Amino acid sequence: MSALALRNLTLGYDRRPAVHHLEGAFADQGLNAVVGPNGSGKSTLLKGLAGDLRPLSGSIDLGGLSRRDIAYLPQDSGVVRGFPMTLEGLVSLGLWSRRGLFGRITGEDRDRISAAFASVGLTGLEGRSLDEVSGGQLQRALFARVLVQDARLVLLDEPFAALDARTAADLIGLIRRWPAEGRTVVIVSHDLELVRALCPQTLLLARQAVAWGKTAEVLTPANLERAEHLSEAWAEGAGPCHQDEHPHHGHAA
Amino acid sequence: MSAGPVEILALRSAAAGALALAFGGAPLGVLLAARRMSLSGDAMSHAILPGVAIGYLLAPNNPLALTLGALIAAFVIAGAASLLSRLKTIPEDAAFAAVYLPAFALGILLIGRQADPEAVHELLFGSAGAFDRDALILAASAATASLVALALFVRGFLGEGADPVFMRSSGAPGWALHLVFMGLVALNLVAGFRAFGAMMTVALMMIPAVSARFWARGFVGQAGVAVLISALASGAGLAIAALTKVEPGAVMTLSAAALFAASAVAGPRGGLLQSLPGRPHLEG
Repeated sequence: MSALALRNLTLGYDRRPAVHHLEGAFADQGLNAVVGPNGSGKSTLLKGLAGDLRPLSGSIDLGGLSRRDIAYLPQDSGVVRGFPMTLEGLVSLGLWSRRGLFGRITGEDRDRISAAFASVGLTGLEGRSLDEVSGGQLQRALFARVLVQDARLVLLDEPFAALDARTAADLIGLIRRWPAEGRTVVIVSHDLELVRALCPQTLLLARQAVAWGKTAEVLTPANLERAEHLSEAWAEGAGPCHQDEHPHHGHAA
Repeated sequence: MSAGPVEILALRSAAAGALALAFGGAPLGVLLAARRMSLSGDAMSHAILPGVAIGYLLAPNNPLALTLGALIAAFVIAGAASLLSRLKTIPEDAAFAAVYLPAFALGILLIGRQADPEAVHELLFGSAGAFDRDALILAASAATASLVALALFVRGFLGEGADPVFMRSSGAPGWALHLVFMGLVALNLVAGFRAFGAMMTVALMMIPAVSARFWARGFVGQAGVAVLISALASGAGLAIAALTKVEPGAVMTLSAAALFAASAVAGPRGGLLQSLPGRPHLEG
């Protein structure tokens, strides 16, 4: 697959841009971080990459991938905890892109589900219902579903928020293996230390790209301060902007 | 006092119809309850009134006209509410409220001046004698359609219910699945409304479904328990109604409520007895 690239991308809601004029590419088969202050457009960008939000302008080049090749784990997973479904049922939803509404679940599919449960340390809990597991166990199950999806592009929005240290460490170990398996990973995170330790590439957002490239070169005090300033200075009611107002578009290294 | 052959035949027809509605409606009720849409069925039961009224005005003594009118109104309301909720500005229950209240008002306006009070009473609360051959065929068709659709689309219905965000991002046909689902709810509701009243039919769909949560964990288990409770409540309600000469829909609903109370007390999944102190967690 060629790199996932953004072409002068503007995303927003009700025709108001939330993040604009993004130009650059994520590292193919690598770990990419998206960081920035609250409200800087990180989650909006991930929604756009996942296909949940149409660009107001510009485009996203998925590098030949289709929607079925994308696994997206939003910050608020949207799982209805009271729904009468087991963890196994939740994880098996990851087969949707391959089996759809009517496709038969094969023995190989069942093996894949069992392997995914083992990978996230949930073997034995397959029969638990959604309201009988902790938040950490549910998050592990959602990672298992990502494994079952076997997606080439994995989008994770604050995947470690509110998780205990052990669960986070286990899931980080899982993520580290994904580039070697041919997956491109984009992680939204507030945790800059984690990003420095996990992701070689980082996009720093403040409604626009403040910097994009090697993590060590992006997460500098000057860039972070500029991101805070730009985020605070953003005017919700601002009129249309012009391309030459944004000379600092980031680009992947 | 003994029942004559006509009453016995009517009772048997009503029992067969109620059983069909239990098989068709109760599993749908489980999904409605799990999706926090318990009151959507109630809203729809009000919303069919304009369709029934128009059917009544066009052909006052024709059950088929009433049924067709109700069916069309239910599909229109379900479609309109689903479409409104897809705009994401308002949640689905609010969309139903915005649609069904005007529909109910229109129904009252249409029927209020034209129908005689007895006919209005039958429309609202049903009459067990209404389960004639055509009504039985409709109830059986609704049950068959519901069970076939559940078997075919269960993966989609469960996925949409448990994690709609994931299903949307996976490209699942959520809108189409939702319309099919609400169409089935409408079909079951209309199949029962002439015999048991629209609101009572919804009650027989929802109360057993909510009761089943105290007994079973997964969807299949809850659906099975809900069918059983709905059938038991219907049987008991019909028998009591026949003995006491009252409307069956209300007694069936109260029977279902009694089974709900028993479930809430004795159910192994979160029932009252389970939460009482005194259950030791250590042995020896």
